[in-house]
Amino acid sequence: MRNFLAFLRQFRVILFLALLQGIALTWYFTFLQYPRSQYLTSANAVSGTMYKWQHEITEFVHLKQNNDWLQKKVARLEAKQVKNLLKIDRENVKINDTLYKVQYVYTPAEIIRSTHTMRNNYFTINIGAEQGVEVGMGVFGVNGVVGTIHNVSDHMATVKTCLTENINIAAMIEESGEHGFLKWDGKNARKGSLTGISNDRKVKKWSNVITRGSAGTFPRGLPIGKVQKTKAIEGKPLWDVTVLFAEDYRRIQRVFVIKNLLRNEQLDLEAKNPDPK
Amino acid sequence: MNTTILTHIIRLVLLFILQVFILNYLEVGYGIQMMIYPLFILLLPVELNVFYLMLIAFGFGGLIDIFSDTFGMHASAAVIFAYFRPIIFKLFAPRDGYDILMETNMFQMGFGWFLRTFGILILIHHLWFFLLMIFRVSEILYILQMTGLSAVLSFILCILFQQLFLRKPKKEA
Repeated sequence: MRNFLAFLRQFRVILFLALLQGIALTWYFTFLQYPRSQYLTSANAVSGTMYKWQHEITEFVHLKQNNDWLQKKVARLEAKQVKNLLKIDRENVKINDTLYKVQYVYTPAEIIRSTHTMRNNYFTINIGAEQGVEVGMGVFGVNGVVGTIHNVSDHMATVKTCLTENINIAAMIEESGEHGFLKWDGKNARKGSLTGISNDRKVKKWSNVITRGSAGTFPRGLPIGKVQKTKAIEGKPLWDVTVLFAEDYRRIQRVFVIKNLLRNEQLDLEAKNPDPK
Repeated sequence: MNTTILTHIIRLVLLFILQVFILNYLEVGYGIQMMIYPLFILLLPVELNVFYLMLIAFGFGGLIDIFSDTFGMHASAAVIFAYFRPIIFKLFAPRDGYDILMETNMFQMGFGWFLRTFGILILIHHLWFFLLMIFRVSEILYILQMTGLSAVLSFILCILFQQLFLRKPKKEA
């Protein structure tokens, strides 16, 4: 016992260092895998409020740019409205079409904090559980996919963006239908990569990369980016596809949170599948 | 005594605001991230026990983590900084030891001393931080590049901070 106490006394600084490092590293590695609580992230009430103040001060800087974006978006959507389409066949086109049912609902939100230089980048947005945000919902920007909801508090939420290592959004190449997962290498905020595309088919440069919608997070067909280049991976029959993101995550200010109204239905149905093992 | 504590608290708040609301948003490129908060740990009193030093560093780093969604990376790096501070201080101690009344800033201890101690400490701090962040041996060159470039910029920022906010000693004529 005395020897043990002497040992403790001799190495107490190192032991204390190990203890504190243990706490910090456990925090780091568990949060990278799965968020445990909102209190230790920027979505908590105190830091969230402070970021809101900061956002209220700085949002005017980007006002003009945001207006430009919104105007472009409105123009794009306006062009698709039925009232602006020419009826070719006067008999068949009906405006009140009951065959469609709304599956995805978009809630607008503002980003109040963002980073893009880290290895794993998270955004904080100004809507939360009281506005119907849930963990795992999709987040869409103005030009492209942003990420998924990582953690939610009452009035705020954090977004795991495409600029994280394990974002794994199901993506596909629009023309050929080849699908894989989106990854990020942690260096360039403009470029990501698409894994799991087999190299027996040619991938055209600058073809569109869109969401596949298989997980029920995003509808199919939201733009992610364009194929910038393809490279063969040594020893595997796969392409390493570099994707140029459609969204500029360094500038983005406003996003939409996508709620899939039929997600539970899809999950319930898929839970009945026999175990693949 | 109370004024010393007050000075440290004001400095903590100031460095915290600078780090979280300004420096975290600056983009320089080449993977550079500027960090000014280690300066607070350097400027804590010399006679402070290393346990308290590490505890304060852990708390301060953790606070920055909570605000910048880095999940303990800053806390871990700050504790490493605090652990090495007494060791480096002993290594570069002035001939007649440290004066308890003196603060370990670059005006009172001299620029040469500040360059050596803080330079080494911030290199250790940044290296640990980027090692944790990337956590891959294959990208060691990238880690070293980020560490070196960021450390130089952080160091310059800390000099600027001291020039702006610390009281310079009166020159005796």
